[in-house]
Amino acid sequence: MNTIEALNQAVIRGDIQGAVARTQAALDAGSEVLQIIDDALITAMDHVGEQYAKGLLFVPQMLRAAKAMQECMQLIKPLLGEDQITSQGSVVIGTVRKDRHDIGKNLVIMMMEGAGFTITDLGVDVAAEQFVDKAQEIKPDIIAMSALLSTTRTGMRETIEALQKAGIRDNVRILIGGAPVTAEYAKEIKADAYAPDAGSAVIEAKKLLGFA
Amino acid sequence: MLRKIKMGKTPIRCNFLNTEAVLEINRNGRWILEHIGVRIQESVLIDKLKAAGARVDRESQIVKFPPALLDDILAQAPTRFVLYSRDGKNDIHLDTGKVYFANGGRVFRILDMTTGSWRPTKLKDIARTATLVNHLDHIHVYIIACHAHDLELQYYHLNDFYHAFNHTTKHVMSGCENLCGVKQMWKLAGFIAGGKDNIRKRPWVSVITNPISPLTFDSDTLQVLDFCATNGIPVTCAPAPIAGTTSPVTLAGTLSQMHAEALAGVALAQLCAPGAKVLYGAVPSTMDLRNLEFAMGSVEMAMMNAVAVQLAKLYQLSIYASGGVTEAKGPDIQAGCEKSFSNLLVAMNGADLIHLAAGMLDSGNSIAYEQFVIDDEIIGMIERIIGGITVNRATLASDVIKKVFPDGNFVMEEHTVEHMMAEYFYPNLSVRCNYDVWEQRSRPSMLSRAKEQVDWILKENDQGLLEPELILDIKSAFPGIQNL
Repeated sequence: MNTIEALNQAVIRGDIQGAVARTQAALDAGSEVLQIIDDALITAMDHVGEQYAKGLLFVPQMLRAAKAMQECMQLIKPLLGEDQITSQGSVVIGTVRKDRHDIGKNLVIMMMEGAGFTITDLGVDVAAEQFVDKAQEIKPDIIAMSALLSTTRTGMRETIEALQKAGIRDNVRILIGGAPVTAEYAKEIKADAYAPDAGSAVIEAKKLLGFA
Repeated sequence: MLRKIKMGKTPIRCNFLNTEAVLEINRNGRWILEHIGVRIQESVLIDKLKAAGARVDRESQIVKFPPALLDDILAQAPTRFVLYSRDGKNDIHLDTGKVYFANGGRVFRILDMTTGSWRPTKLKDIARTATLVNHLDHIHVYIIACHAHDLELQYYHLNDFYHAFNHTTKHVMSGCENLCGVKQMWKLAGFIAGGKDNIRKRPWVSVITNPISPLTFDSDTLQVLDFCATNGIPVTCAPAPIAGTTSPVTLAGTLSQMHAEALAGVALAQLCAPGAKVLYGAVPSTMDLRNLEFAMGSVEMAMMNAVAVQLAKLYQLSIYASGGVTEAKGPDIQAGCEKSFSNLLVAMNGADLIHLAAGMLDSGNSIAYEQFVIDDEIIGMIERIIGGITVNRATLASDVIKKVFPDGNFVMEEHTVEHMMAEYFYPNLSVRCNYDVWEQRSRPSMLSRAKEQVDWILKENDQGLLEPELILDIKSAFPGIQNL
């Protein structure tokens, strides 16, 4: 098995350390960076995505594969030329004020990064003002918000109002999700999109930016 | 020869998991508290813990409990206390071997079965669910069932508790967002009871708090816990680890972590006020790792809650356990199976109080009025099962068998009339009739009967329960009260 195939298998297996080692080995052996990305990493994630959709791989395995890919990309990124770095879009994401739940949000981050989005993670307990400040600073395409409690989801409404007040609501698309969040609620607070799970979040994000 | 038989009722109580395994989990929970510790996000409490002899790291806020210290603190927890009802007719006697059931709280959506669609919950739903629980024999405690989206935030807990108190005389439990909220509630409860001493002596309201798994106790939670412990309000600090996500994927691992979190909760309450009335809390559940879907109706959830009882009993603590949740979105087959498995398993293991046992749908995110009535019946069946079989001279019935044999039957015997009420649970909803009669009656089902029951209960009981004069006094003393 050549290095590219071995790397592909390591990512599929979720062998994080093995994948990083094989990436380094591939680079040392002189493999083309774009070939590593396309033939090893992206094909691995495509395969993982298919297997997951069929129910043959579970979420923990998918997350580990995504993590393996992330770690490999860390090695490769510095070697990419300006013109070679592509991003599907930039996303600022966080769990709203007074809410510390982050597993769902972190899963969304991994799925979006796997799909090629650039993510800025504000963490948990993020106040409306923090979303606004970051939006003014980096001008993202999407602001994504998560909440797990019926009592904290009002943070989403507050953030949208704060963006409005700052005059930048129209410069960004708002995507929301989390257990007490519904399509109705999204309509009510005039968010742009709602996603019931991490997989849909990627699809909705792509729709928001005009490519699906 | 007829022997003298003195046996009576034999309630069914099981030990789901063998003792050796339970002891191993206990050892592991204690090891976690000693070597991993818990995170305490309130510096005043960290000071108290340090003074008591815990190992404390102020920067990380991590506190570790040496085993001797843990046992000393836990020894102060009362093993037996009562959750009172306002009228004294539904007092909850913890630690007496009796199994009690409560509904569950803080959903945000309700399935309206007249329209077939879901809507956000309102203050009216608190009043109606309290009314239902007040009326249903097998639900013993009312937990404020839902979030009231139409309540102003400023006096939120003043109001949700007020409307609960006005529609049930059973013991009321709920969570409070923060210290301000629990103070609002306690002030109101004291007013209704005719003084703080009265309510403190016979508390007919209690509070639910929760740590954040893994092993973290945040500031709001600790402030509420402290207030309750100090003011004599019965309280629980109930861990809700979700196996595979906020606790290990293995059931023994989740149980170990949950046990550490639950014991820490009890210990923290004792540190705030020695002798504080606190229940060992347990809300362990699972995640379906195929798609990271929450699974509170899983059989593994049922099993873990059953074992939680055994863990609590090692310390002679009364337990606030969980059962009766389903992922089903409505009262259907899945709801029936999942609720029955968990409520039965946890009841058979002897939990003092099983909450979430009634009304819950959609992983604890929704309720339906009809589900309360259906679950009341499921619980009735479970109560009968755990009530066991009475074996004594009279029930062995050899005299009446001798009398009836060889040509008679038992239907009209005095023995039959004498025992038929105590020996059986008579369901209201389960359909028992032959096919033709069933057709004639327009094909009833448990659900259609549940709908009729709901209509009847709500129609006949739409008045508040507090005295009109008291209500006027309350409204003038508490201008933040919102009407229905």
